[in-house]
Amino acid sequence: MKRFLRLYMIEQKLALRSGDMLIFGVAMPVGVMILISMIAGQKQAGEGFTYLESSFAALIAVGICASAFMNIPLTIADYRDKRILKHFFATPCSPLWILGSDMLCAGGTALLSAVFMAFVSVVFLGYRMQGNVLAFMGSWLLTLVSMFSIGLLMASLCRTIKSVNAVTTLVYFPMLFLSGATIPYELFPSGLQKVANVLPLTQGIKLMKAVSMGMNLEGVWKIIVLLLGITLICIIISVKTFRWE
Amino acid sequence: MNTCIEVKDLTKSFNGRTVVDGITFHVEKGEVFGLLGHNGAGKSTAIDLLLGLKKPDCGTGTIFGLNPVTNRKAVFERVGVQLQSSNYQNNIRVDELCKEMSALYKEPEDYHTLLQFFSLEKLEKSQVNKLSGGERQRLSVALALINKPEIVFLDELTTGLDTAARREVWGHIRELKSKGTTIFLTTHYMEEAESLCDRIFLIKDGKKVTEGTVKSVIESSPYGNLEEAYLWYMGEEVTQ
Repeated sequence: MKRFLRLYMIEQKLALRSGDMLIFGVAMPVGVMILISMIAGQKQAGEGFTYLESSFAALIAVGICASAFMNIPLTIADYRDKRILKHFFATPCSPLWILGSDMLCAGGTALLSAVFMAFVSVVFLGYRMQGNVLAFMGSWLLTLVSMFSIGLLMASLCRTIKSVNAVTTLVYFPMLFLSGATIPYELFPSGLQKVANVLPLTQGIKLMKAVSMGMNLEGVWKIIVLLLGITLICIIISVKTFRWE
Repeated sequence: MNTCIEVKDLTKSFNGRTVVDGITFHVEKGEVFGLLGHNGAGKSTAIDLLLGLKKPDCGTGTIFGLNPVTNRKAVFERVGVQLQSSNYQNNIRVDELCKEMSALYKEPEDYHTLLQFFSLEKLEKSQVNKLSGGERQRLSVALALINKPEIVFLDELTTGLDTAARREVWGHIRELKSKGTTIFLTTHYMEEAESLCDRIFLIKDGKKVTEGTVKSVIESSPYGNLEEAYLWYMGEEVTQ
């Protein structure tokens, strides 16, 4: 365990050093949050909640989105291409060590994004969560795990760096802009809302919104089951199709 | 003598093309064993099969009498591996890479000692990507030694290095040998094989051509040096 942590610490250091995750996953959502609160923070976005409240749960998903759909598939594809994964087979450790530590790194970046967002929102923007904070953390974790499983699936299905790059772009940007993560879902015309509903991240955001605003939670069971189902299916397919080189 | 690597009838095909074709050999403790052949002769695949990184179609490879697939942990605590043209994570520094590799073993060597041995101690804080070819290659050998291995596999150790850098690496390999480490290397440079290897094994299109000490291989050919003997064995025309 100690040795695994040492490996993880180095990978985490590398992840932070590269910087792009800090921009896309941490600085960007907080920047958008500040903008939204300046433009329309206290305006009603829907019945009984403001844009600030609505955007908090949505923008916290941006960190998850960047980690799951960029960081995870790109890192795994890169390590596979460089034969770093293969090299782990020629050591007493399993390559699962490096995969595990990189998943943990991606989770660490998403967590950093969420904590920073909460800090700025509560301290500077006057945000207060109406719902139960612990339940919100649970919904965040479920969204994170289910989106990570999709990222892992992308890494498993794409064989080359080129295809991973293409798929990452195709998945990341629609998820970022059409799921309601950056542009408030409430502003979408109803046709676009229907499109957005197909995206898995939209469901995660809906769940986090409902919990954070302390809304009636009757409908969320469907979303929870859906996200658990996505996680299960993606992990099974990833494990079955994964290639080390 | 003490046999530490044993390979019997190792065979592997990809898409109907036989890349390694029924090769059999053994390596004794403390010797430098060279697997020689052209590019694409099946050298790297043979190493992959022996290390259990790929599954053979038939035949077996054992290290210390153990199958590396089923005894991965036990075997790789005692075996160091440098894979052909190793690449590392972006932005990683030399000391970080050493620490990361050390974390994988139960009783690793102090990496400072290894960096010193390979004259890399001043580069400890440098980025691996910014090292020269020779420095990188020395680093990759140092990393293969981080678990104090009894056997070390070196695949195409000096490909892409200039003469001076190559000779420097050779010096380190000889020193390693004098310490009793068994060395298994692949190369297509005959000068390298002649200067380092105790015994050599020549393969062509995955099949054995000949094996023996460097001296005996040269003597069984009509030529006086290994390069010409090698070309003769490989069925190429030897031009003066």
